Amino acid sequence: MNPVRHSEDKEIAISKEKSCQHPYMSNGMKWSKKCCLLLLAATIAAIALRLPLLGQRPMHGDEAVHAIKFGDLLEKSFYRYNPNEYHGPTLNYLTLIPAWLSSAGKLTEVSEFTLRIVPVFFGVCLVLLLLLLADGLGRTVAVCATVLTAISPAMVFYSRYYIQEMLLVCFTFGAITSGYRYTQSKNITWALLTGVFLGLAHATKETFIIAFDSMLLALVLTLLLKSRRDGSGGFIKTVRAVKPSHFSAVVAAAIIVSALFYSSFLTNPNGIWDSVRTYATYFDRARQNQLHEHPWHYYLKMLIYSRYGSGPVWSEALIVFLAVAGFIVAMTRKGLSGVNFHLLRFIAFYTLIMTVLYSVIRYKTPWCLLGFLHGMILLAGVGAVALIKLSPNVLARTFISLLLVASGVHLTWQAYSGSYKFYADTRNPYVYAHPTTDVFTIARRVEEIAQVDPNGREMIIHVICPGKDYWPLPWYLRSFPNVGYWTEVDNVKPPAVVIIASPAVQPALMKKLNEFSPPGKRNPYVALFDRYIELRPQIELRGYVLWDRFQRQIQSVQPQTTGEK
Amino acid sequence: MMKKGFNSIVKVCVLVLFAMSLCLVYSCKESSQEPASPNSPGQQTTDNIKSDANDTEKTTVETSKEPTTDSAGWVAIDIKLPKPMFVGTPQDTKVPNLEKPLGRKRDPFYAPVGAKNVAFEKPVTSTDDLPIIGELEMLTDGDKEAADGSYVELGPFKQSVTIDLEAEYNIYAILFWHYHKQAIVYYDVVVQVASDPDFITNVTTVFNNDIDNSAGLGVGKDMHYSETAEGKLIDAKGARARYVRLYSKGNTSNDLNHYIEVEVFGKPAI
Repeated sequence: MNPVRHSEDKEIAISKEKSCQHPYMSNGMKWSKKCCLLLLAATIAAIALRLPLLGQRPMHGDEAVHAIKFGDLLEKSFYRYNPNEYHGPTLNYLTLIPAWLSSAGKLTEVSEFTLRIVPVFFGVCLVLLLLLLADGLGRTVAVCATVLTAISPAMVFYSRYYIQEMLLVCFTFGAITSGYRYTQSKNITWALLTGVFLGLAHATKETFIIAFDSMLLALVLTLLLKSRRDGSGGFIKTVRAVKPSHFSAVVAAAIIVSALFYSSFLTNPNGIWDSVRTYATYFDRARQNQLHEHPWHYYLKMLIYSRYGSGPVWSEALIVFLAVAGFIVAMTRKGLSGVNFHLLRFIAFYTLIMTVLYSVIRYKTPWCLLGFLHGMILLAGVGAVALIKLSPNVLARTFISLLLVASGVHLTWQAYSGSYKFYADTRNPYVYAHPTTDVFTIARRVEEIAQVDPNGREMIIHVICPGKDYWPLPWYLRSFPNVGYWTEVDNVKPPAVVIIASPAVQPALMKKLNEFSPPGKRNPYVALFDRYIELRPQIELRGYVLWDRFQRQIQSVQPQTTGEK
Repeated sequence: MMKKGFNSIVKVCVLVLFAMSLCLVYSCKESSQEPASPNSPGQQTTDNIKSDANDTEKTTVETSKEPTTDSAGWVAIDIKLPKPMFVGTPQDTKVPNLEKPLGRKRDPFYAPVGAKNVAFEKPVTSTDDLPIIGELEMLTDGDKEAADGSYVELGPFKQSVTIDLEAEYNIYAILFWHYHKQAIVYYDVVVQVASDPDFITNVTTVFNNDIDNSAGLGVGKDMHYSETAEGKLIDAKGARARYVRLYSKGNTSNDLNHYIEVEVFGKPAI
């Protein structure tokens, strides 16, 4: 009999608690009511922290780019994978589901909620997927990891971000869980699911290769350790135990799923080749891109301690330190019973390799930490349970439990503050190159002018920003069909009703406006905004509007104001 | 055993065929909804897919649908408006204690009559005697452009430049430019004036934004600031000195230190 299974059965027998059966627990693993309640609470917490006010945070430039690209897919059924930028197609295609459900046929009918519900969904799935590892990790560890996944500030913050990262983490973890379930049941369905998840992860973001390499290396290391323990030939035996047909199923499913997405569902076969040659671009970027170059300790420092100016202290140190404890438990096989140590070691190696690889790569953006942070969370669950079990007496056990609960409350507070209070504040470590809430003011002012312009929403708007630094404005101005975007002043085109420009082009713009307004026929421009406006911190934008439109807008407001008085 | 393996293969094949048939259904639907031909007549929006290596995204040109009339009676017709170009993640400027830009021209700085730039063409020394780019003389040559050939690039981490004014002056303002081609922020900017080249006698710190004392010159209370073409102007409050020293320790883009120009406004010490 499997010693692991035996001890778990024994544990269940001893507990004598009323229990509920989970459909995936094929080995008859039973869940106590307490565990079920905790899992339910964690899931509710995950949803409650991720779902509300999805439109509150200004769209990040990257989110806006994905949104506008999604607009093409929605309105014209057009998607072409670009091997140089913007990552894989799953985010775009999967957004079709909420768009269809909300009966949105045009980009103007799509809201931030429609877009951001996609990562929210996968953020919650990531929490629930842990159930599939419950018999390997042990119920208590699984519950702890579920709770930590639900309340981790970084997990919450980026679950509300319309980028690929949460999908990538979810699909990668899906592959791990399905792979693990396959090793337990040898059922081809799990093999197929592993392949599907691998294919989806590959079709999500190019950095999947880091997770995939980490998985492979972690698997080899785990099997080598296993073979050393079980005797010679263990490694080969384990590899040979996988049926060739099942292995083929994994590979075939992965290739088919990935190829379907990259080829835009067989309408662009070149996309498949592009998904391979893209790695040349990304390897190059990892080495040479200075824009997002950060020191090796960037992610770890961000997780352990961040404080900017007068802002609060941000820390997920609890997860990092518990993960270290969990790593030690996985390697020493001490402190826990009733768990699959091969699985623990696999997760430990996988997390360590991912952390090292992401730290070594100089190109760093904060959302990239999610991959190894999730591994750390799984190990943190192990560490937390081991710490409690290794406590010498009831007093110490109570103290550690209370400390963990208090730290968990602090994590929840950070998750709430980060996503609902400091959501666009540079004092939040996860806010990166983020637009300020001034973008709402820009959109509101343009809307107000359009209401008094004879052409309404058809009025001409010019946006002039060197370096194409105008994102996310295309998202906020999406309902205006006549918006032109320039990187420098175009002296040929007549000036627009509303001009939004970077201060860098102001001299050239003023010269143009003077030349286009002959004396006597001058309809001068006035400032669109009554205060300093930033696109992002330190990136100023200035607005100009024709004098008569400005006057009309003022007059349209005055009667209402008088009426209110 | 063989039978079981065969059954598995059959299952895989059936599933693969099922998946492919689903895709074919989808692709058929797609082809029927193929985007309108880029230049189809009657369509005023034209889409061109650029095959450029770096920008394979859409570089659409849109024509406004109707002539627009402004208050002066001008008619704008056939206006081609470029669509936004997709870009990657922009640079982050997460700097603690960062002051908000004024959003307007700096207020004039008032100094006693006769105060002028006394640093012009004065000798400059540095902790990095062999700059990576440029010459130290460029700091006091009067060229304030951010163009290549107008700035000096010093090595990484903490570096300083010292200007010998060759006489004692009452210094009222120090105006300097690190590198203003991009909106970057230099760390640990400390400006000191002194009467001797070793900065032992009569040392006055007139600016210090090293909030964590990482440069080892004491904790500063001044704020970080973004580089602009206006430069950074510091009120030296008439401090009497012959030497002016400026420290910095890398910037938000990299660990290097740059200078374009340093101006010291003063009058001979009374």
